[in-house]
Amino acid sequence: MFCSQCGANNADTAMVCAQCGRNLQAVTPATPLQPTGIILPPGTTVQNYLVFAILTTVFCCLPTGIPAIIYAAQVNGKLQAGDVAGAQIASKNAKMWCLISLGLGIGCMALYAILIMVGVLSGIHQNR
Amino acid sequence: MDKNRQLAATFAAFVGGVAMLRAFDPATSGIFPPCPVHYLTGWYCPGCGSLRAIHQLLHGDLRAAWALNPLTVILLPFLTYGLASFVFFEIRGQGLPQPSMRAGWIRALCGAIILFGIMRNLPVHPFELLAPGAMLGL
Repeated sequence: MFCSQCGANNADTAMVCAQCGRNLQAVTPATPLQPTGIILPPGTTVQNYLVFAILTTVFCCLPTGIPAIIYAAQVNGKLQAGDVAGAQIASKNAKMWCLISLGLGIGCMALYAILIMVGVLSGIHQNR
Repeated sequence: MDKNRQLAATFAAFVGGVAMLRAFDPATSGIFPPCPVHYLTGWYCPGCGSLRAIHQLLHGDLRAAWALNPLTVILLPFLTYGLASFVFFEIRGQGLPQPSMRAGWIRALCGAIILFGIMRNLPVHPFELLAPGAMLGL
């Protein structure tokens, strides 16, 4: 390795520079902070909510489930790239769109129930 | 524990829903809400016919279920496994073994769902069969 101070060529295992005495261990470049190859602590998973995304798309019959599926894909994609923080953000978005779909689905069901009740009541009223 | 109570309530609602879906046919009973997309736009969404399909599956009629919504029939085993895994995760803190899907596969699945939704609305011969029930004239 080359000394960062005087440029002398030293053995790779050298602790100090043979020419100027600079501490070579301290100036060894730190391992690059690239996001690749980050290993998740065992047991840590970032939920992608894919099952719920598909369930809400298919059973709530709503297009709002589609962004949930796309965010689910993003979670796995970012995890593969080692971007845990990004995956967590995508996970939150996936969850949010699942909840929006679920809420809309339940809202539609409630609306339908109210409409039926109104229909039944008005039917009773007219038959009098 | 509060969480256990939540789980129990969710489970009860799920079992109740399945029992109702088995007892009443969404095609005729009118107690299940119609698909909001179909109601508002007249188009079939990828999920149209899924409740009717599951009703038929609960009565063992795979043919009718397939005709009502093939996508639901294909996805249902995986969704059931995923839900079971979620329940296991909530109870013992560890889900069932799941392969980590590549992002590309999930995007492909998303594309397939959208494509299925488009195709079943096309009034052209092989595609029109994908409309709910069209294969059997239900």
